[in-house]
Amino acid sequence: MSEGVAIVGVGAAVPRPLSRDVSYREMIFDAATRAHTDAGVTHHEIDSVVSVCEDLHEGTSITDEYVPDQLGAVLKPVQTIAGDGVQGVATGFMLIRTGIADLVVIESHCKSSNILRHGDVLEMALDPVYDRPLRANPHYIAGMEMRRYLHESGTTEEAVAAVVSKNRAHALDNPVAPFGARIHTDDVLASSPLCEPLRVLEMSPYADGAVVFVLASEERARRCPRPVWIRGIGWISDSPWLAMREWADAVYASLSAQMAYQMAGIASPAEEIGFAEVDDTYAYKELQHLEAAQLAPRGRAGVMTLAGETRRDGRLPVNCSGGSLGMGYCFDASALYRIAEAARQIRGESGRAQVAHATTGLVISWRGVPTQSGGAVVLNAD
Amino acid sequence: MRRQRDNATTRSIAVGGLARVEPRVWRGAMPVQFLYTAGAAGERFFQTLKRKGIFTATHCEECRLTYLPPRLYCERCFADLSDTWRDVTPVGRVYTFTIVHVDREGGPLSSPELVAFVRIDGTDGGLVTRLLEIAPEDVRIDMSVEITLAPPRKRRGTLEDILGFRPARSVAKRPFTRR
Repeated sequence: MSEGVAIVGVGAAVPRPLSRDVSYREMIFDAATRAHTDAGVTHHEIDSVVSVCEDLHEGTSITDEYVPDQLGAVLKPVQTIAGDGVQGVATGFMLIRTGIADLVVIESHCKSSNILRHGDVLEMALDPVYDRPLRANPHYIAGMEMRRYLHESGTTEEAVAAVVSKNRAHALDNPVAPFGARIHTDDVLASSPLCEPLRVLEMSPYADGAVVFVLASEERARRCPRPVWIRGIGWISDSPWLAMREWADAVYASLSAQMAYQMAGIASPAEEIGFAEVDDTYAYKELQHLEAAQLAPRGRAGVMTLAGETRRDGRLPVNCSGGSLGMGYCFDASALYRIAEAARQIRGESGRAQVAHATTGLVISWRGVPTQSGGAVVLNAD
Repeated sequence: MRRQRDNATTRSIAVGGLARVEPRVWRGAMPVQFLYTAGAAGERFFQTLKRKGIFTATHCEECRLTYLPPRLYCERCFADLSDTWRDVTPVGRVYTFTIVHVDREGGPLSSPELVAFVRIDGTDGGLVTRLLEIAPEDVRIDMSVEITLAPPRKRRGTLEDILGFRPARSVAKRPFTRR
């Protein structure tokens, strides 16, 4: 049985809006071989494989039948999880902690450009009797959540727009982020309304991509070149009913972070967490998630953002990768992109996007509308 | 949302000794169809709405939670709530709202839709619904609203019996408490 669990291999396909030149199997194969090389292992050594995938995102049914070959997982223990990416990492973590495996591969991918009408997928996730008959674009849920969050926290729309400016600017320094741009806060505020108060530029653009991690037990990780330790992990699903949610607060993120902090022995998150990669599928989510994770007091995340404190050179650098706003939204693989970018920071491999003294980082993930499911991961250099 | 399309990211593919080709796509659809059931709690809710024009909810005494839509169990303490029914007047307050500018395919709507979550008075739940008889700029969080139902003979016992909620005509202030 292993106490410590580390990410020893990171392989990520470069996210991009369209990828017709490769099948998703080839994209995963690319990420998998990068991860194996990064870890210094071959696929023969992998004990178990976890893939995070969802039938309606693939355009296939019984998606587990499409998994094993491109991951080097033929004739090996394989499981698929239709959930947030952090749930996949948590499953690998448990496989190692229980002693079932020493080396585990975690994979998630997204060919969003294959989906002609993503709104249909979101709509099918709504309750068929109480919610679906409304027949409104399901992003209304984000619009209503943002309105209530602004109302209760006193956060301004300027602060939400500042998240977009910051993350798109951060992406300019990340060579694999396709959506880097200098966008002034005023330009964000002037962009078209989507589901008011949510604007078009405040929603992450879709991208295609794949991420593969190799996770290792403590003993095995010590033989790998650059382990990044998973010191805490948490994942929570709140009530799925629209009728029972808080709307203003990301309770799933609060509880996930608490679970991860407790495991990691972190008592004062705001002092001990050096940087964060948090879900920003919609710009307000970054602020909501920072407050949920106790990295900002209630209603202060927006103020901190406007003051530049969450920029790469600020007191709490957030989404220096560009986040989903700058790298693109990859459904459940978004969580793995956040973790991959946090791991690169801890290894000091982030180049121009590198944060100074990035030793302990936090990742917060969210499964997107209409869910209230998310996760948290605390990563550390040693 | 309309997907951002960037043709510059489409790469041609080398196919062995043949000339490079533009990647093609194979189209597919999932023509699956389903039936759903509202369950015992949902049937009682919709039949009560159809016949009496009011809501019905279940209540957990232990957790002090009133479920609307009703459920036969408490999601917190897991108690059986099948004998805890109570009638509820279909009035409430706008808890949050949005003005939807895009249709279900992401295209622009000629007339934006006003969608709100209305917390029903005396319950911990509520419904996502349309707001009627009010201009978007006049909507406020916490404003009192009441139901607009289809005429009795047109009701079918489904969510569509609720046409929406409109500003309450009696403006008496009701104390708002939750949990």
